[in-house]
Amino acid sequence: MRKKIIEMRGIVKSYYLGTPNELEILHGIDLDVYEGEFLSIVGPSGSGKSTLMNILGALDRPTQGHFFLDQLPMENVKDEGLSKIRNEKIGFVFQTFNLIPRSSALNNVALPMLYGGKSRSVRTKRAKELLELVDMTARSHHRPNELSGGQKQRVAIARAMANDPAIILADEPTGALDTHTGRMVMDIFHRLHQEQGKTIILITHNTELALETERTIRLKDGSIVENKINEKIQLEGSYESA
Amino acid sequence: MNLLENIRLALEGLRANKMRALLTMLGIIIGIASVMAISTLGSAMTGSVSKTMDKIGGKNISVSLTPKNYDSQATLQPEDYITQDELNSFKETYADQIRAISLSSSLGSGKLNSGYVHKDVSVTGANPDYRLVNNINLVQGRFISDRDIQSSRNVIIIDTTLRNNLVGVNGDPTGMDITVKTKNTNETYTIIGVYEKVVIDNPLFNMGDDTRIECFIPITTAMSLNSASTSIPGYDNFTIMASANADTTAFAQITKQYFIKNMGALSDYTIEAQSMEAMVSEATSMLSTLSLGISVIAGISLLVGGIGVMNIMLVSVTERTKEIGIRKALGARNSAIRSQFIIEAIIICLIGGIIGVGLGSVLGVLGSSLLKFPSTPPVGPMIIALCFSMGIGVFFGYYPANKAAKLNPIDALRYE
Ligand SMILES: Nc1ncnc2c1ncn2[C@@H]1O[C@H](COP(=O)(O)OP(=O)(O)OP(=O)(O)O)[C@@H](O)[C@H]1O
Ligand SMILES: [Mg+2]
Repeated sequence: MRKKIIEMRGIVKSYYLGTPNELEILHGIDLDVYEGEFLSIVGPSGSGKSTLMNILGALDRPTQGHFFLDQLPMENVKDEGLSKIRNEKIGFVFQTFNLIPRSSALNNVALPMLYGGKSRSVRTKRAKELLELVDMTARSHHRPNELSGGQKQRVAIARAMANDPAIILADEPTGALDTHTGRMVMDIFHRLHQEQGKTIILITHNTELALETERTIRLKDGSIVENKINEKIQLEGSYESA
Repeated sequence: MNLLENIRLALEGLRANKMRALLTMLGIIIGIASVMAISTLGSAMTGSVSKTMDKIGGKNISVSLTPKNYDSQATLQPEDYITQDELNSFKETYADQIRAISLSSSLGSGKLNSGYVHKDVSVTGANPDYRLVNNINLVQGRFISDRDIQSSRNVIIIDTTLRNNLVGVNGDPTGMDITVKTKNTNETYTIIGVYEKVVIDNPLFNMGDDTRIECFIPITTAMSLNSASTSIPGYDNFTIMASANADTTAFAQITKQYFIKNMGALSDYTIEAQSMEAMVSEATSMLSTLSLGISVIAGISLLVGGIGVMNIMLVSVTERTKEIGIRKALGARNSAIRSQFIIEAIIICLIGGIIGVGLGSVLGVLGSSLLKFPSTPPVGPMIIALCFSMGIGVFFGYYPANKAAKLNPIDALRYE
């Protein structure tokens, strides 16, 4: 029996737009994710995927329901505690990369370790290793505006890995990339999943990419409408040989 | 989140907006520079005042008969003068407060003739205490003695310039006779001593014509030569040197009361006694009024500067909302965000403060050299100015930094 890393029960998220007309986005989500799983979340635009991911990533709190992250009940955690959880247990990869524009690739990767209180030498060493892992060593001193989209996303993945998190949350990481670079990014995720046993939750609009993952959740209008185990498909991608 | 990283981050941010940072600093620069300039000037002035006090005697009280009403044509009556007997009993009464009483009587200007040397001099009659009270620095021979006074001897003390003219730098003029013509009569004096003139280079104390050569003779000799004073039974002014532990301001008051008792009620004259300390504090109060004025300007400038820093920090927080969101998503605590922005504000203010201290020191040194005070910028106010500018950074940086720290991570990340 694998360890449950995420357990969600009856998660509701509402927004208050003025007092009377409350806007409920998520209507009671139940979700379990096991350690080492590669999960994809699909669904039409506006269905609440990003909203769900913000809750999964401890960026936001649900309006109702229970959420256990690594067995820890999140409703008891204070804001400072959420910061610590984001820093230690979560690695975010965003569609628009979200790198710090004034910092070099190396400093961007080192940033979560800085907030984690690691020493400068440890940060630099680890950041270099991670840039090596995503094949970005040559660009480690470049700033984000000197990098292509695919390169930025590789730096962002390296940054997500900085504190060796339990879960990587990727919200449409290939959404801003062409098929080829998107493929490259997906290969990196597969490698992290297979070689390092990372739990990865991937939000995507691309059904083909979703099929590459072990399990797909389909959201519609704020509810889970499908939870499907994908057959193992043989990828002709380069990640196995890399 | 360590301090060094925060400083590095802040400098990175400032480098990206150099011009904006400089303009923001301007208020701080002007404020700190004016504080620094005035304190450099002030310390130069007080430094030179206390040096001058050492030279001219900080314990001195000058006492004089002054008209009650300056408009009237008052003249001194014989009974107005303070007699030697009155002075003696005064000195006895306050023996523990008085160290010396200097008496002098000017014979006015005269002409010295000695061989080839012809010089304009001024001749002053003095008592033995004159030397101590006026800090006469004797380099050769001796000063006027009690016996010189008693027998109204024709002896004279000249200054080094005159000595150099008469016998050269290495010569000894004591024992030499010189003739000085004052009040149209020639008198021959024997030189008994040479003194070195003290140069007081302080514009606050204008000691009159410094190029004049002053010679001293016994006061009794001077009074008998001064035909007008033959009938004068005493002195219209003298200088007291108070003892080291005396409160000169209080003793000046006591002195005034003591002599005013002896004055006839109908006299046109009264006694004024003013301590050197009081005169100095009068001179320095002018300075403190000036520095108060400049401090107010500096304060306003620092306030405006601080508000400018706050404004630019608010702009910076808004501009970097997304960045703040990213940092929070990566696990930055609110306190880390807060200290990042506070340190940025502190650094803006500190750099402004450093530029201000530099600029103010230069201005202060220039200003005081223009007024002929030797000066070096004081270290104390420098440190205070730098600490104060950092304080401004903390005070005006706190609100924007706290605003940044309290941003909701999702809203910040969504910010376009
Ligand atoms: N702060 C908010 N206030 C009000 N409504 C919000 C807020 N944030 C999100 N929503 C709404 O929540 C719904 C779900 O948004 P969400 O971003 O989760 O969709 P999504 O599934 O990620 O869509 P996409 O595929 O386009 O990224 C949308 O209708 C959106 O308008
Ligand atoms: Mg979305």
